Amino acid sequence: MSDREEIGGGLQPPKQKPEDAELDITPMIDITFLLLSFFVVVSKMDPTQSVDLPRASFGEAVSEKESVVFLITKGETKDAYSIFRGRNLEDQIKETEPTAQEEEVGFYCEKHLSSHPEVQTILIKAEGTVKTGAVEIVKRGISLSELAQTRQIYVGVEEQK
Amino acid sequence: MSKKKKRDDKAKDDFDLYAPSGEISSEQSSASKQLEGSLPRPKAKSDESLKQFAWRGFEEDIDEVDADPDVNFTKGYEEEEDGMDMTPMVDVTFLLLIFFMVTASFSLQRSIPQPPSKINEPSTQVAEEPETEKDYVEVIIDQQDRFFITTRFEDEEETPSETQMRAKIRNAKVDYGAERLIITAHVDSTHQQVIKVWDAGIASDFSKIEMKTTEVEY
Repeated sequence: MSDREEIGGGLQPPKQKPEDAELDITPMIDITFLLLSFFVVVSKMDPTQSVDLPRASFGEAVSEKESVVFLITKGETKDAYSIFRGRNLEDQIKETEPTAQEEEVGFYCEKHLSSHPEVQTILIKAEGTVKTGAVEIVKRGISLSELAQTRQIYVGVEEQK
Repeated sequence: MSKKKKRDDKAKDDFDLYAPSGEISSEQSSASKQLEGSLPRPKAKSDESLKQFAWRGFEEDIDEVDADPDVNFTKGYEEEEDGMDMTPMVDVTFLLLIFFMVTASFSLQRSIPQPPSKINEPSTQVAEEPETEKDYVEVIIDQQDRFFITTRFEDEEETPSETQMRAKIRNAKVDYGAERLIITAHVDSTHQQVIKVWDAGIASDFSKIEMKTTEVEY
């Protein structure tokens, strides 16, 4: 007569979920917390992301940590630019003469690569508004370094959607 | 009134749990009938009489009793036993999770590989025409960030927009299979223009992209 009789055959009371039983979300919450803590640990609020990189669609992903990094930012005046060693806007190259700047870049490259021979990439992060000449100075400075000859040079871009 | 109805439903559920099949319930009702004697009562009424063990006053009184907060004690107790409501916490956790997933950069930098600069060659040198056939596309970026494109069929044609520049580079590759892209940038051109041309070259699948800088004005 009723559904229960059809399922259980009338021999034993059928095991049926009570109607107010809900899905147990405890494992889901556990995994969510695990993922959350993973991403909290992994992601770092990067304060060095102040360089306004040019946009491009076809950039390769390069590990910034395992690279020799140079930053080039635009100065206040039209032709002014600043070259920084490393990933932060702290260690600026003070020289104003292009030749001296090239030498400084080459020297830093050589020093960094001799102490970290496992580094395989050299990354130039230049603002889009910087003159090509300034980027060229850094590139030529890198060519001055003997150890840099076998390393690949990259210029940083921002991914374009 | 609604409370009373709820209670009646609950009573019915409880009753069904104890007697899952229709047969037993009818048995019980018949048994109750026997106990009750010859008084003919409707079935629904008999169910109710099984659940309500004591007489609780007239119909109107029952409603009044239900409205009394003291009598609702059992209901409040049940809610307390459910524990803390975790829904908002889970919501916030998910929001945080999504936020950190999106902002996690793994400190990877998108970048374009570049050939090393040839130090022996002075950058001021004018780009000489390659002797080989014109299987290349040359893009000149002048001091005012304008593009001039030289292909097999066109000589130094000014291309005002980035879209046109991309299209021309693409066409050169498709039409006659140009494999080399030569970027000649004036030192006063901006870096982003060079990157635009370079990106267009990668997009059109050029096998070799070269770059040189010049101080010759156009």
